[in-house]
Amino acid sequence: MTRPEVRAEPRRRRFAPWVALTVLVGLLAFVAVLATRDPGSGVSADSPLLGEPAPLIEGSTVDGQPFSLADETGRWVIVNFFATWCVPCRQEHPELVAFTNRQAAEGGDAEVVSVVFDDQPDEVRAFFAEEGGDWPAVTDPDGRIALEYGVAGIPESYLVDPNGFVVSKIVGGITSDGLEQLLARARAGDQGGA
Amino acid sequence: MTPVRRWLPWIAVAVVVAAALGVGVVGERGPSSLQDRADALAAEVRCPTCRSESALESAAASARALRAEIARRLEAGEGDGEIRAYLVSRYGQEILLTPEATGLSSLVWILPVAGLVGALVGLGFVFRRWRATGDGVATDEDRELVAAARRGEPDHTGAAGAEVES
Amino acid sequence: MNAALGTAGITLGLAGSLVGAVTLAYGLVRHRPRLVGMAGVYALLIGLGALLAVFAMERALLTDDFSLTYVAEHSSTRTPLLFKVATLWAALEGSIILWAVVLAGYLGLVVRRFRTRLTDPMVGWALLTLFVIAAFFFWLMSGPANPFTEVAGAVPADGPGPNPLLQNHVLMAFHPPMLYLGYVGFSVPFAFAIAALVTGRLGEGWLLETRRWTLVAWGFLTVGIVLGAWWSYEVLGWGGYWGWDPVENASFLPWLTGTAYLHSVLVQERRGMLRVWNLSLLCATFALTILGTFLTRSGVIDSVHAFSESDIGPSLLAFFTLIVVVSVGLIGWRGDRLRSPGTIDSPLSREGAFLANNILFAAFAFVILLGTVFPLLIEAFNGDRISVGRPYFDRMTMPLGLAILTLMAVAPVLPWRKASGELLRHRLIWPAWSGAGVLVLAVVLGARGLAPLLAFFLAGVAGGAAVRQLVLATRRQGLQGFLGRANGGMVVHLGVVVIAVAFAASSSFAHEAEFRLSPGESAELAGHRVTYLGVETIEYPEKTALKARVQLDDGRIFAPALQQFPFATQSIGVPSVRTGLTEDIYLTLVAAPDDPAGEAVIGVLVMPLTVWLWVGGGLMALGTLLAAWPGRRRRPTDPVSAPVPEHRPAGRVPADEPSPEPVHALRGTAP
Repeated sequence: MTRPEVRAEPRRRRFAPWVALTVLVGLLAFVAVLATRDPGSGVSADSPLLGEPAPLIEGSTVDGQPFSLADETGRWVIVNFFATWCVPCRQEHPELVAFTNRQAAEGGDAEVVSVVFDDQPDEVRAFFAEEGGDWPAVTDPDGRIALEYGVAGIPESYLVDPNGFVVSKIVGGITSDGLEQLLARARAGDQGGA
Repeated sequence: MTPVRRWLPWIAVAVVVAAALGVGVVGERGPSSLQDRADALAAEVRCPTCRSESALESAAASARALRAEIARRLEAGEGDGEIRAYLVSRYGQEILLTPEATGLSSLVWILPVAGLVGALVGLGFVFRRWRATGDGVATDEDRELVAAARRGEPDHTGAAGAEVES
Repeated sequence: MNAALGTAGITLGLAGSLVGAVTLAYGLVRHRPRLVGMAGVYALLIGLGALLAVFAMERALLTDDFSLTYVAEHSSTRTPLLFKVATLWAALEGSIILWAVVLAGYLGLVVRRFRTRLTDPMVGWALLTLFVIAAFFFWLMSGPANPFTEVAGAVPADGPGPNPLLQNHVLMAFHPPMLYLGYVGFSVPFAFAIAALVTGRLGEGWLLETRRWTLVAWGFLTVGIVLGAWWSYEVLGWGGYWGWDPVENASFLPWLTGTAYLHSVLVQERRGMLRVWNLSLLCATFALTILGTFLTRSGVIDSVHAFSESDIGPSLLAFFTLIVVVSVGLIGWRGDRLRSPGTIDSPLSREGAFLANNILFAAFAFVILLGTVFPLLIEAFNGDRISVGRPYFDRMTMPLGLAILTLMAVAPVLPWRKASGELLRHRLIWPAWSGAGVLVLAVVLGARGLAPLLAFFLAGVAGGAAVRQLVLATRRQGLQGFLGRANGGMVVHLGVVVIAVAFAASSSFAHEAEFRLSPGESAELAGHRVTYLGVETIEYPEKTALKARVQLDDGRIFAPALQQFPFATQSIGVPSVRTGLTEDIYLTLVAAPDDPAGEAVIGVLVMPLTVWLWVGGGLMALGTLLAAWPGRRRRPTDPVSAPVPEHRPAGRVPADEPSPEPVHALRGTAP
């Protein structure tokens, strides 16, 4: 600071401010992109399956009953991928119980099907016995159902309409109210489309 | 010494290296087995439930299922492209660890190459200019710096002190 | 009690850094040396505050004080002592305490180092910058990432313990502190770069200071990265050590720009050139440490199922923006005046090689940064979700890696200014034979494929070139020949060469298989017999381990295991490795048997030369130490970097050494 100021030479072109400005604008645009990314756990998520026929679910439940998604045509189905070792799955379970109870009480046309993701049937049976829930929990021993649905983590749920098409994908835990709203919106969209 | 004599050691090195590389490259394994193809495909596919492992590396259940599915489809005679298309139809583009070389995502391949070429070309230009101008000519600024150093500005003693310490 | 103590520490540190920053700023702008000279007091306050915070947190961890949320969420009574201590850096809030205390430590060292020159504006501005950085981290701890919040409601009797992956291996106690010593260490050269830009003084003093501080930080970061790779090899169980994960990339980026700086600064030291570029590299290195922390801690990457992101993202991004605006702004303002008029005579010269080195390292860093953030950019642009993963990074960095090896092979023998073909022919012939020898050996041993063989050959030449320099230096100077930046640098090069060979071998010639075996059955892979003997369950206070007993051909029994931690829901695989000089045999228990007599699935991976990765890392650390060894005078053959004597007309260099370019020499040594 105490150094005598050295005059910039007239011969040399002013060059640094322009480079710096360009770099700065680029970096600020980059920061803007970073700042507008919302960190994850969105409720409704994108999936290539949306609007497509729901992949088949054929198999047996943890209780040994046969199950086929094709038999559920005419009803709204929430296909829920879960495991007992997954904390958010355990947290959302009471919500699913509340949802099915309300559906049963109101005579609704929606139901829940759980697909076991990398878990033992015994554990799932014990979990359902303890936490409630009387909907089918389908086993998926070699993970093919999850693969057909493109499950990238659990909990993950798919809403299938009465015609057997995937309407919506929900990533992360769901709530009973959230499901009701989603269903209402889907019904409205369904009528609008028809 | 004749030029050939001078270069003799280098010619010997070149011959040895070329021969060894030739043996090493020609001797590479022939057409790959189904298992190799399955592994190669799995290495380019993301393990769906992992952070950034490929389906080949991961021990997660979803990666296992993916590997089994890839093997099943290869045995059924599907091509690599078909299998990739199937996986994309389930998981979206996200499942592929290598971005496509078309459209916007091709930029991830092009930008680094363009940047490197640009930097090399730029450096080439600078070298040409340097060669044209020859060695630097002392500017006014330089002279002033020299003068300042000769005067022994208090500032410089400070800076010099650091050097002696280090 | 602990909460109060910790909060007091944070408050003290925050107050010290804020008041210190304001005092210094006022003193510097208004030219009040007395105020500027008080920096030591504030540095002391910051150090006390950080130590108090560490003390409070460690005390809470060791005494199982579950009234603190951090302890309740990340520790448990059953956690072994070592991991209780290491829990300080097992999660976000605690790792910021570590960051702060390391920063306070560096701050203390800077103050000590410059205790006689605290009023020098250059030192003042550097300390001011460090105070601002410290203020940011103490502010993080007092707000967005407060480690001393207390649990609401009843105090739990116990906690879940640290993440199982983080209490599995003793390396966890060393890898993060090393990494932080590296990361945070870059704040010091950054601070001096800012000070140099503000004061406009870019002389030798600035240069030497920043070079040594950068070297130290770079050495720690190198060790941290290698330890991280080792940890992931020993713990994660997929047999790899580097996966181009965003977290790994985040640590690699500042390493790359730091490496580029350590090379190009030599050009400045010798020829007075590349000043603006060197300043930019330092600013970029520090900015990248903050950006990396943001990318890995904010949850913007891997966002789909990131259930545990924190709220510090916006703060880190804001700080990153501040750094970028200040450094780019200062460079734009000062850049033209700092440019030097020097020229490089020939691309085939030491300085030409350093330029090429910088281009390659910059390209390397660009590829990694682009690949890491590209999915975010694409999503922001058109909403598509894509991934950029390992195959991309492998494909893009392989040619760059080979090019860097080529440079390492040629550059050490190049003279400054200009090299002739004659000279290269003489100096390179033995390195070339060493490369040819390595290549022939590899082919004879059965290595095939162009890329790995090229890597072996180039590594052989590079190793030969480094050894040649070391031999020449030790012949001249005895053991002293290993000291100093050039020769220490050659030891670092040897470490890199060893790592390159190990990397090429282990990634190209590994054999892998999984076997489903009943007790007593065996299988063979790559000439090794693996016999499964049975399983046993062992209970530890903090975990239950299901260990498979697996016999390898030499009769030793290994125990790959699956561990179950009470609060973690999935079991954690623990590999068991037979480490050897030529190959590692890596065993994992992929699936446990349903009953003791049932079949287990054993994963076997035979990887050549893996151990040399860690040996190479050790060599790099040793080389850094030699290069930074204090007290050694620079060789008198460095006319340009010789200090400007106080009472002698500057511009004259020691008579025994001709000065090729007096004007440039002065530009390097004057302010």
